[in-house]
Amino acid sequence: MNETQEPTPEPRRTSNGNGNGNAAHGGNGAVPHGLRPRGEGGLNLKPSGRLNAIPTEARGTAPVDSSAPIENAVFRCRDVNVFYGAKQALKGVSIDVAPRQVLAMIGPSGCGKSTFLRCLNRMNDTIPGARVTGSIVLDGRDIYDPERDAAQLRARIGMVFQKPNPFPKSIYDNVAYGPRIHKLTRSRAELDDVVCSSLTRAGLWDEVKDRLGSPGTGLSGGQQQRLCIARTIAIQPEVILMDEPCSALDPIATARIEDLIDELREQYAIVIVTHSMQQAARVSQRTAYFHLGELIEVGETDRVFTNPRHRLTEDYITGRFG
Amino acid sequence: MNRRAIRKALNLLALSLSGLATAIGLFFLGAILWTLIKNGVAGLSPKVFSAMTPPPGSSGGLLNALYGSIVMTLIAILIGGPVGMLAGTYLAEYGRTSRISAVIRFVNDVLLSAPSIIIGLFVYELLVVRMGHFSAIAGAVALAIIAIPVTVRTTEDMLNLVPQGMKDASTAMGAYHWRTITSVVYPAARSGIVTGLLLAIARISGETAPLLFTALNNQFWSTNLLAPMANLPVVIFQFALSPYPNWQQLAWTGALIITVSILILSVTARIVVSRLSPAGRR
Repeated sequence: MNETQEPTPEPRRTSNGNGNGNAAHGGNGAVPHGLRPRGEGGLNLKPSGRLNAIPTEARGTAPVDSSAPIENAVFRCRDVNVFYGAKQALKGVSIDVAPRQVLAMIGPSGCGKSTFLRCLNRMNDTIPGARVTGSIVLDGRDIYDPERDAAQLRARIGMVFQKPNPFPKSIYDNVAYGPRIHKLTRSRAELDDVVCSSLTRAGLWDEVKDRLGSPGTGLSGGQQQRLCIARTIAIQPEVILMDEPCSALDPIATARIEDLIDELREQYAIVIVTHSMQQAARVSQRTAYFHLGELIEVGETDRVFTNPRHRLTEDYITGRFG
Repeated sequence: MNRRAIRKALNLLALSLSGLATAIGLFFLGAILWTLIKNGVAGLSPKVFSAMTPPPGSSGGLLNALYGSIVMTLIAILIGGPVGMLAGTYLAEYGRTSRISAVIRFVNDVLLSAPSIIIGLFVYELLVVRMGHFSAIAGAVALAIIAIPVTVRTTEDMLNLVPQGMKDASTAMGAYHWRTITSVVYPAARSGIVTGLLLAIARISGETAPLLFTALNNQFWSTNLLAPMANLPVVIFQFALSPYPNWQQLAWTGALIITVSILILSVTARIVVSRLSPAGRR
């Protein structure tokens, strides 16, 4: 099979060069992750006081797309609808995903944020009865273009799931899985290098370097999730999608993953779905709020949490519901 | 206090009933094994494994029958195993919700419970009549047809036990579906699939009726797949019904050999499987 040709890893490595272009994204990106106050912005506000202070009509109730289209966006999504059978799960979502930045998607359960995430790598294709309309453009071409091969597309987009899901293989084979199936390496030594560097970047190397042959399923939950991240970055994706990657982990493991996300941001675009608003505030530069299948508001994380423009966003982040 | 007493009494009753049921089951299992060992061991000698089945009244062994059983069971599982595994893979991975799968599943269940004598007759019509004579290959085909539904069912069940998250992880890495199945799903379900194949072997190695119509029997050493071939179940059947004491003794010994070899096969396979999974291979 010829699945391996398209995703050549070379061009993607350029992002290492302009890693300092990071600061240009301004705002939170410049502040060291650990120093940022937790629960910054709207999270600490007393809901009643704030809500009364600003007249409701000034905030509007129609969906607000507060972000202008982003230049050199990785993904450009326009009017994306998703149907599961007759049920519409996502309604007219338009959003851009910027390179080297974390986009957090928040919202109550069933709001469509995971559905949207799964649109970006066509994982909804695997669900019988799922239908996607609208356009999601990567590299100037719609990813749902029938000419486009979903597997080759997914090879360029990593995904980390809610529940750590290592393969029933050794730690080494877990990380080597992607490079092997896409034939990214030419020799065993090269593969060894990829495995080592991926585990190192995922912050797992020191813990597993002496037992690469033991099963990945024998690791702790947090270690398994870092193994899954290592497995994902081993194929040098351009984007990493994360579907509540910390919800099955304890706070210490969560903190490690969040640090890792902050480091990975230097090289990848990251889209993370999270139920934790604190987590969104800590790790992301942009935040999108979904409600009942609609994208209500998207903007700089600081701005969304301190000065939400939509009533629903404010109700959610101040803990009125959700 | 009263309710508590009733509850305790009911608990005791249920416990003793289920204990009794277990004991009955185990008793018959033990009784069968005991009878086999008591009657079979007496006839065990090196000659059983080195001599052909004898004419009435003279001494002999079971070598040709052992050989025939092993050969036909192997050919049957070589035909039936892959067919059953591929069909099970289709049901679990490709046609999970399609209408044709529901039909296949139903037909498979019918085949699973079809009396084996019917399958013997079917192969008799299909192969024996056309070839004009009984043959080992016809016996193997009949056994394969019995092995297929068992393998289909266990393969499908075992593949369905593989967590969806694991398959999703592979799909999200950009693996094609066939790659996910061969590299992730099969290894994850390996011990279950192997167990299923063993169940199929155990099932067919004791089948008598289908072989009566297909491979028949052969008093002599034969390796010709196109000729009738001796096999343990039919030899046991014929010898046990005979009035000759030496044949009856060989029938007991043959029954013991079948039982013990299936036991050894299952145990060693279990050990091998538990060594293999959960995959520490680099």
